Formats: sequence, structure tokens, C-alpha cells
Amino acid sequence: MHKNTRNVIIHYNNLQILAISSRKLSIVPSLYDGEQDPGPKFFCSGVQALLKRLTRPDFAKVFRKRTNSNLPFLKTPKYKFLTNEELDAEISKANKTAAWLLQMPPVVKVHDPINEVFSKDPALVGYDSSKYVFTDITFGVPNEQRLIVERDPDGTLQSCDHDTRKRLNQGRKVKEPTMFSDEEKFHGLLEEEKYEFILDRACIQYEPNEPTYQKVTSITYQHVDLKTNFNMLRSTRHFGPMAFYLTWHQSMDNLMLELLQTGFVRETVLLMGLRQAIHEDIAFADELNELVPQILPTPVQLKKSENLSEEDINLDNKCIDCVVKYITKNSAMKSQQELALQGFREEYQQLVELSRGLRKAHGNV
Amino acid sequence: MPLPPASGTGKYFARAAKSIRLIRQGCTNRPFFHISVTHRRRLNSQPVIEQLGSYDPMPNFNNEKLVALNLERIKYWLGQGAHVTTPVAELLGLAGFFPIHPRCYMTAWRNRRTERENLEKQKAADAAKAS
Repeated sequence: MHKNTRNVIIHYNNLQILAISSRKLSIVPSLYDGEQDPGPKFFCSGVQALLKRLTRPDFAKVFRKRTNSNLPFLKTPKYKFLTNEELDAEISKANKTAAWLLQMPPVVKVHDPINEVFSKDPALVGYDSSKYVFTDITFGVPNEQRLIVERDPDGTLQSCDHDTRKRLNQGRKVKEPTMFSDEEKFHGLLEEEKYEFILDRACIQYEPNEPTYQKVTSITYQHVDLKTNFNMLRSTRHFGPMAFYLTWHQSMDNLMLELLQTGFVRETVLLMGLRQAIHEDIAFADELNELVPQILPTPVQLKKSENLSEEDINLDNKCIDCVVKYITKNSAMKSQQELALQGFREEYQQLVELSRGLRKAHGNV
Repeated sequence: MPLPPASGTGKYFARAAKSIRLIRQGCTNRPFFHISVTHRRRLNSQPVIEQLGSYDPMPNFNNEKLVALNLERIKYWLGQGAHVTTPVAELLGLAGFFPIHPRCYMTAWRNRRTERENLEKQKAADAAKAS
């Protein structure tokens, strides 16, 4: 089963690249509608921890002011004097709020189409030219489980499909934005790289198990992958599902390359850990499983630090070893990644020398 | 005088005869029915016991006639011995809750017969015009 999907996906990747070079953007959307359900893998705590760490939350971006908050006026920032304990309390509150803001939209399988027929009565043909739709308005029943049936003009009594159910449950308050129905507008938005806007709107409009939502998100993720604009989605709640999508479809090598080029080795190891958790096809899995719990407690690195302690250097060296193994065995973009790793090694060597020199100068050897 | 609540007062006489019927609300040339349980001898303008649903006889933009039925409460009032009028019985039959009412079969048969006769008349008229 794994081998089959990999062959299929590799072929699909080639097809995609050919299509891009020949004409204007034609990305093939791919939904989670196969036999394998991404739900259990996505919701397991290990994968969740990896995805949250991969988003690299930058509080400056997470807590930025947005134009659509319901405040009538902007509030001036409050400055307080705090003791150490109070400061820790405030920081933990901020972490909780950040975790709430960065909740990832769930990744689930596409819902099955409903086609349950209760009865066929051809003797009722001609009774009426319009459909009758019956909704059960019993109190306390959640919307998803409501009985909604329809009687067609040809006499068939059947359960309503998902679109009709959604329309009857929510009413006509929310009209589908044209950007989702019109291909040109959608591609125009993708060209302008307004990924967060598209993904936020898709989350509002659709449920995560609807085929339209999965199609929109998959096209967006593939576009981000193509243009390597991962930084636009970092520190948002969409990075996790995007990383999961790329890893699920075995096309995470672009992300790996970007991480190596920008010099975040630990996150490369986390990405490998994610792949191991989903596909379980990495040869050096034991070392990986040892290394990942060592990386997760370390603080999120937003920019290059100059004070690398010996533990940091050891950890980073182990990460580099893992990356080398991955490039030789599992990677699809070997030459580029090796080049990037080479560049990173030189840069890292300079950083190590700098930090050692600094410590020596400060007398902390 | 304030209008009685259309969703029902909830007050009833336990031993009186009750029925589940269509109460016409809506405006001129725009009917809209509430499916409610009331005492049998009350007028449609008098307070109902409880509203159990609605029926919109005008088809919407998708050519659907929307009917809402509070099945739990309908079952309760049927258990309390409420009668059901023919239009409501027809609707419940179409919904699959009751067996299909014989009047539905009759209306369907009669509509098909008129359709057939109209078609034949049309053909005869066309043939007469052609010749």
C-alpha cells in the first residue's frame, strides 16, 4: 500500500511540474478521500506537539492588531510593574492565549455522500411539481444529526445530501463568497499571495470534512509549496495543517530545503519526526525518536542567537547528522539539500567560533 | 388587544377534543401555515395549545416546499389522543411518518389524467392546424 501510493504520488509530482512550466498555474487539488484516514494521525499528541513547534509562533505576529476585531476604538497599551512571580503568571497567560489563537483547523477525511432511499412510490407521480423537504425540529438534537428528508416529484423519499442539509440548517444568511466558486478570482488571490485571507475565509465558510474546503486548502498549500512562501503562514494557525498535508503527500522536501537554507536545523529534525509519525518509512527512526524529545523543550528560536552553549552545539551537531542521513536515504531533492546543508555548516561553524570566542572573552569557559 | 402567541399558549383542557391542523398565517396572496395542536372547536384565530411545525406552500428558489415537523411533540400529542386533519395527514404521509394518504394517490392520478387529456387535446389542435 505504501509503495503504491509513493509511486503514484511521484508520478503526480512530475505531472504537476510539467503542467506549471507549460501554462499558467494549473494545480491539481487532492482531497483526503482515500482509504487512509488522516484523523487519528493528526490528532495524536506527538504529531500535534510537532506541528505546533513547526509553526514557530512569533508573538509579535500572533498578537498583532487585526482590522476585523470588534473594538469600537483602539486601546492604548497598559504598562505595569510586576514581581517575578506575577511576570511568570502573565507570560503563562500569554502562552495560553497564543495557544488558543493558534488552534489548528482539523484535518479529517472527506464526508461520505448521503444517498439513503427510504421508499419509492411511483404512484405519487404528478402529485406536485416541486420537492417537499421535511425537517425534524425536535429540541436538543444537534444539527448534524437532524432528520432531513425530501420527497421528489417522482415519489422517491430519500435523505437529503450535505449541501441541502447545510442550507436548511444554517439558513440563507451566509452566501458562498465568489472567490471560492470563480476559478479566475481564486487564482488571482493566489497570485497576490493572500494565503491567510483565503484560508481564514475557507474555515469560516465550510466544515473541515467538506470536499470544497479540502479542495481550496489543498490548492492553497500546493501554491505555497511551489512559491516557497512558508514564512507567510508561520505563526498562523494554518501552518500545522499545511505541514501535515505536505508530509502526508510526501512533498515536504521543499519545506526541508527552506528550513536548511534559513538555518533551522532543529526544525528539520522535527519535520523528519513528523514524517516518521505519519508514514513510518525513515531508516534511522530510533535516533530520531531519541532526538525529537530533546528538541521539543528547547525554546522557539526566531533568529540566530550568538550565545550557543555546549549543549546547544551538541544538539545541533546531532541534528546535522540526522539531516545527512535523511538526505542520503529519503530525500527527493538531494543535490539542493546537500548544497544548503553545506552552506549551513559553514555558517554554523562561524557562529560556534563566535560564541566560543565570546564566552572566552567574558571568562565563562 | 395583543395577539395570542403563535407558538402556543401551552394551556389546554385535558379531556377536550384536540386536533393537529394547519392554521393559516401569512399575508394576502401569500399563505403560510403553522402546524399546531388546538382544541377541535376553536377558531383559527383563537390561541393554539402548541405549534408543532410549519408548512410553506409556495416553492422557494430551488423549487422546494419546506415543511418543519417537531416529531417528538407530534408523537406526544398523538399519544394524548389528538386527531389529525386531512392536509396534515397528507403532509405526514409524504414525510414518511404516516402511511401515504389515499387522497394523495387520488390527486396524483387525477393530475396525470388531466395532463394526458391536455396532451391529446394539444395534439388534436396541432393536427387540425396542420391539415
